[in-house]
Amino acid sequence: MPVIPELLTHAGGRPDVDAIEARLLAGETLLADTAEHVVEVVDVLNSYGVVLDAYSTNLIFQAEKQFLNPFPVFRFLDGDLSAAKIWRHLNGDRINFEYAEYCMKAMLWHGTGGLDAYLDSEPFLRNCAAIIRHKTSRDPLLALLHPPFPNFLPEAIRAAATTHALGQFWRVMSDLFLDLARAEAVGEVASIAAVVDFIKAALVKAAANPITYAVELGGERFWVLPPEAGLTFLVDVAVPYVEAVFLRGMPFLGTVSFNAQAQQISPDQEQFAYGALYADPLPTMGAGIPPSLLMQDMYRHLPERLHDLYRQRTRGEGDVRVKICMSFQKAMFCVTNAAIAGTFPHALASAVPGELAANRAYARSWAGRLAVARTDCLDPYSAGQAVA
Amino acid sequence: MMLSLLLVIPFLGAFALLLWPSDPAPGRMRAIAITTLALQLLWSLRVLLAFDPRLGGMQLQESLSWVPMIGLDYRLGIDGLSLPLVLMNGALTLVSAVCTRDISQRPRIYFALLLLISGAVNGAFLAENLLLFFLFYELELIPLWLLISIWGGAQRAYAATKFLIFTATSGILILGAFLGLALFTGTVDFSLTPILTERLAMGSQLLLLGALLIGFGIKIPLVPFHTWLPDAHTQASTPVSVLLAGVLLKLGTYGLLRFCLGLFPEAWALVAPWLAIWAAVSVLYGSLAAIAQRDMKRMVAYSSVGHMGMILLAAAAATPLSLLGAVFQMVSHGLISALLFLLVGIVYRKTGTRDLEVLRGLLNPERGLPFTGTLMILGVMASAGLPGMAGFISEFLVFRGSIAAFPLATLLCMVGSGLTAVYFLLLVNRAYFGRMAITPPSPDPSADARLDIRLAGVALRETLPALGLSLAVVGLGLVPAGLGWLSESTAAAMAELPALLAAGAGGLG
Repeated sequence: MPVIPELLTHAGGRPDVDAIEARLLAGETLLADTAEHVVEVVDVLNSYGVVLDAYSTNLIFQAEKQFLNPFPVFRFLDGDLSAAKIWRHLNGDRINFEYAEYCMKAMLWHGTGGLDAYLDSEPFLRNCAAIIRHKTSRDPLLALLHPPFPNFLPEAIRAAATTHALGQFWRVMSDLFLDLARAEAVGEVASIAAVVDFIKAALVKAAANPITYAVELGGERFWVLPPEAGLTFLVDVAVPYVEAVFLRGMPFLGTVSFNAQAQQISPDQEQFAYGALYADPLPTMGAGIPPSLLMQDMYRHLPERLHDLYRQRTRGEGDVRVKICMSFQKAMFCVTNAAIAGTFPHALASAVPGELAANRAYARSWAGRLAVARTDCLDPYSAGQAVA
Repeated sequence: MMLSLLLVIPFLGAFALLLWPSDPAPGRMRAIAITTLALQLLWSLRVLLAFDPRLGGMQLQESLSWVPMIGLDYRLGIDGLSLPLVLMNGALTLVSAVCTRDISQRPRIYFALLLLISGAVNGAFLAENLLLFFLFYELELIPLWLLISIWGGAQRAYAATKFLIFTATSGILILGAFLGLALFTGTVDFSLTPILTERLAMGSQLLLLGALLIGFGIKIPLVPFHTWLPDAHTQASTPVSVLLAGVLLKLGTYGLLRFCLGLFPEAWALVAPWLAIWAAVSVLYGSLAAIAQRDMKRMVAYSSVGHMGMILLAAAAATPLSLLGAVFQMVSHGLISALLFLLVGIVYRKTGTRDLEVLRGLLNPERGLPFTGTLMILGVMASAGLPGMAGFISEFLVFRGSIAAFPLATLLCMVGSGLTAVYFLLLVNRAYFGRMAITPPSPDPSADARLDIRLAGVALRETLPALGLSLAVVGLGLVPAGLGWLSESTAAAMAELPALLAAGAGGLG
């Protein structure tokens, strides 16, 4: 048996369901509270905030200005069709908006929460019918396409609605993450617990924000997600987003290939565990892995403090995107931690036995899912790694 | 003096290193060795410029009577068979010196031995006197033994001793055959001419040829004399493996063509069908054994056994095309195996293992060895004979040149060539694809998938020698005409030997 230097492999901890449940019920953070973790989480969320700002702007642009465009060739250009912008785009000097689309598709496909329910409702189909009538009267291609494929345009409108809703969600999250960085810079946030509290407070504050979406066609305004649908930020978009992107994900574009014919993929979508919290950071920048696009985008906007930290670890600049992915995973555990803390059915300090039991059941259901996630990233960073 | 300089430069470099008055730093000694070897390579290129490829016989000959009473003359010459090997020796010894890093233990002796081997190998390829060849052939043996036994792996003593016993036996058999030639012909003329053997009875010819065949068969190595090679490779350091596979094994095939076919063309024609079968057995055995290996280096070593067997097939057929194919195969095997050993060396240095049960996913773009893996894929494709690379042109020439003479053996060798793709794809698939790991598979797959692997990166300078060899492999595959132009006349002249002797023309010496 060969002798492998121990420094070359590192196995993080793997807390079990009980340990995670206990932490959640005690109000403790999942991520170890260290100074390095604060830097990693705050700075990676800072760069994520910048990227989300671009994603959000583009998704809203796509949903509003590229609505039912059968050939949306310029959808990533945000309406700027200058030669310089097109050149930069073709040259790869751009944000990878494809990742935002991937997340939108994950949400649309998994279809959980109030948004998805509304997209299958009668009022939505009535709105769709009005839009399609208007659109087909002016667009001969769509007029030709609609009769033989009557489900095509409603599905495209569902996708546009999800795109817009995700754009609105990320608008809030982008501002939240940039605010967090500012708060940390002035010393208001100095620990992982404070980071989780900051995110939780912001989520709670934005919880009831309405999610609406209307398109303007030929000077006429049509509602796709009207205010009377009563869709709100936290329950109808944020929670389905966490479910689709953090937890379930997609098995085919993930970090590992799965063989569906060999029954490696559960037929039950609810059992999927291919999301960001389960993703393996090591293959980052390999072919066909959407998170690589996000890591590439965050790398473009990495704060210098975090960049310096990465330069001192493992291969320095050589594997920086893997390290961003690892930090990102820590940050996403913090966001999930905040979302769980903010959605407990009852106050954690409650002494009522029934409320305690409900809280325990809620914590247990989360702990069961998180115990199989990449909890190895939650430990403090261990030194002693090989440096190139 | 032109050819003598190919000996003088490395030998002088070796002595300069040994006699250097102060105690220079290892880096300085490496620089001296690299400079000397670069000079040697440059001079080899100068010889290439002076060489006339239209002539089939020896050129640029130099002669000096040394110990006439025992027939030892200092006679050097070069032809289309030896020139490519001299060039390859120059290039690969330089690569060996360049890829020797962090040598803290006795660097002075290490680099001196490297230079000594390079000079001795040049001498063996250039010698036109049997005893002179034997001297150089033996001269490289002890330095190589020392290189394995001092700078080798944990089992180096075993591997080095085995190497010494096998190759010393090879030397004894070769010397015995050369002396037997003198005994049977009743002369002390050890010059390189087939006319001598014409006077011998076929039985004597077969006896001497048999001794030479086993002697060189050990060196090549051919099954069943191959067992020293995987051990020697496994224990030798990367630069020594490069030298061993790239240059030193070629002494065996060179001897096969120059002395077995060259001195005993009639006896050779008689045993050729059996040699073709031996070649097929060697190719198939080497390939099948390679499939069973879990040590990357042993796998490459066994692939050498397989690929060197093809040279025996080409030599057995002894057509102009097959002999040209033999020269191509010597060069392409030298380049490809050197490349593969370099890459395995990088993997070993970075991960601490070569175990195919342990290494996985090394193509990982950020934490793995993606460029090393890319070159490895190129190397194994070349070894498997994919068009556009050196392996294809050499194997194609060997097969095309031999199939008319020995169809069955050639077809079996083709199967062996196909098996190359099997074992090398196994290697690439196991070590380079999938989720990265450098630990034995755990019973819990999810535990494996959670391991953070922290390999150090490969600096560009570490990959440069392998990159150079890769370019040479592709270059030879795309533009084979240059080497063909160098060796075609010599191959044609060698193929005509039996007919010429039968016609009583002789006098090719």
